[in-house]
Amino acid sequence: MIDLIDVCFRYDNGTEALQNVNLRVDNGEFAFIVGSSGAGKSSIIKLLLRETRATEGTVIVNGYNLNKLKERQIPKFRRSIGVVFQDFRLIPTMTVYDNVAFSLRVTDASNKTIRQQVPYVLELMELQDKARKYPMELSGGEQQRVALARALVNDPPLIIADEPTGNIDPEFSYEIVEMLRAINKCGTTIVMVTHEHEMVKYFGGRTINIEEGTVVFDDYIGGAHES
Amino acid sequence: MRASSFRYLVKNGIHNLWSNRMMTIASVGTLIACLLIVGFAVLFSINVDSIVEYMGEQNEVVIFMQMDTPLEYMTTMEAELSQVEGLDDVVYVSAEEGFAEYKEGLGEDAYLLDGMEDEAAQILPAKFTARITDPEHVDAILASIRRMDYVDTAEAPTDLTKTLVSIRTMVNTIGGTVIAALVLVSLVIITNTIRASVFTRRKEISIMKYVGATNGFIRVPFIVEGILLGIIAAVIAFLVIWGGYTLFVDAMATETTSWLGSITQHLVPFWPMGYQLLGYFLLAGIATGGIGSAFSMRGHLKV
Repeated sequence: MIDLIDVCFRYDNGTEALQNVNLRVDNGEFAFIVGSSGAGKSSIIKLLLRETRATEGTVIVNGYNLNKLKERQIPKFRRSIGVVFQDFRLIPTMTVYDNVAFSLRVTDASNKTIRQQVPYVLELMELQDKARKYPMELSGGEQQRVALARALVNDPPLIIADEPTGNIDPEFSYEIVEMLRAINKCGTTIVMVTHEHEMVKYFGGRTINIEEGTVVFDDYIGGAHES
Repeated sequence: MRASSFRYLVKNGIHNLWSNRMMTIASVGTLIACLLIVGFAVLFSINVDSIVEYMGEQNEVVIFMQMDTPLEYMTTMEAELSQVEGLDDVVYVSAEEGFAEYKEGLGEDAYLLDGMEDEAAQILPAKFTARITDPEHVDAILASIRRMDYVDTAEAPTDLTKTLVSIRTMVNTIGGTVIAALVLVSLVIITNTIRASVFTRRKEISIMKYVGATNGFIRVPFIVEGILLGIIAAVIAFLVIWGGYTLFVDAMATETTSWLGSITQHLVPFWPMGYQLLGYFLLAGIATGGIGSAFSMRGHLKV
C-alpha cells in the first residue's frame, strides 16, 4: 500500500527534511505518524500526495511508483487516495453536497452515481441536514466531517489524514478519530499524521515516530481506549 | 468526458460569476472601460477619415484647353481624362457653355456681354471639370493632365487638398498608435484583473488538484467564466457606445452653422457599422476573457 524505501528529501534551500526513511504500511492498517514540529511529518505527506518528489529513494503508494509518475498521471493517482487536511480545505463557494460531490465529478462519475453516493456518505457522517449549507456556516468539527465525507465518497483504498484534529475542539477530535477507525474497520487503510501524543496514547495502535527526518520508533502501542 | 460533466463545468463557471461577484464586477468594469476607450477612439478615427474623404472629394480640377483645340478632339480628351486614375465625374464645358456660365456669374452686369454669344469660341477656351477622388496624388494627376495634347492649364486647389490629406494621415497615424497603445494597456490591465481573480481562488484550485481534478477539468469553469465576463462586458460597452454615438450624431444634426453642418452630415451612420463593432467587441471580450483566464491559471495548477 505505502512503501518508502531509503527515502531522502531535501528542500531547494538545502534543508534535509527526511534522511534514509524506510517505512511500510500494509493494506487495512491504521498508522499514526507522530513527531514534533519540523520533524518531517509534512514532508512525508507531500511525498505521499506526490506534491513533490523524493530527492533519493523510492516512494510507492497504491501501486504507483511516485518517482516515475508523470505529471498527467497525478490526477488519476490522487483519485486513489482520500485526503483530509488540518484546515479542511473545503471549497467555500460550494455547498456541503457539492464539495463532497466534487470528488466524484473529477472521476467523470454519472449524475446517478453522484445522487446515490453523496447522500449515503453524508448520512454516514451525520451531515444529511447540512447538505445545502456552505462550509462557513458549519462548526470546525462539522467541516472536518465534510472533508472526511469528501475523502470517503470515492471509496479509496487509502485515506491520508494530515493533522485532522488540529483545528477542532478536543471533544470533536476524538469523534473524528473514532470515525477514521470505523472506516478502517471496513478495510480502508488509514495514515494519520498528528502531533497530539495524548490522543495517540488513548487510541493506541501502530505508531511511527519521526524526529529530525528519521524514523525513531515504529511499533504497536496499547491504547487506553482499548483497555 | 461525459456530457453531464461538461454541463456541470459550464454551470459551475456561470455559478462562479455570482459567487465571486466582486471580482466579476472588477473584471467586467475594467473590460468595459477598455472597450469603451478603444471603441470611441476607433469611431473618432473612422469619422475623421470619412469627413476628410468627403472634403477631399469636393476638390475640383479645372482643365482649360488651348484656343486652337479642334472640336472633334474634345471627345478624345474626355475619354482620356476618364481613364486617369483618381479622377471622376469628367464634364466637358464648351466655350459657349463656359461663356453662358461666365455671363450668369456677372449678375446684373450680364448685359455687358449681350450679343457676344457668337464670338464665345474666340473669347473663351473650352474646359473640362473633374472631381479628384484620390487627393493624396493630386500633383501626379495634374502633371499627367498637363502632358496631354492641347491642354493649356490644369489647376486644382492643391494647398487645401494637401492640408486635408495631411490631417487624415496624422489622425490615422496618431489614432492607430493610440488605439494600439490602448489595446496593449487594456490587455495588461485585464490580464492582471483576471490574474488577481484567479489568485484569490488559488486555494480552491489547489483543493481541486488534491482531489484528483485534471488541469482541463479545473480550467473549463474558469474559461467559461472568462468568456462570460467578456460577453457581458462587450454587450454593455456596445450599448453604451451605441447610445452615446446616437446622441452625439443627433445633437450634431441640429447644428446649423454652415461649415459644421456640412461636416456633421457626413458622420458615419452607426448602422451597419454597429454590427461590425459588436462583432469585434464580442471577439475581443471572449478572447481576452477566455485566454486571459486560461493563461492566468497556469502558475496555480502546479500542485
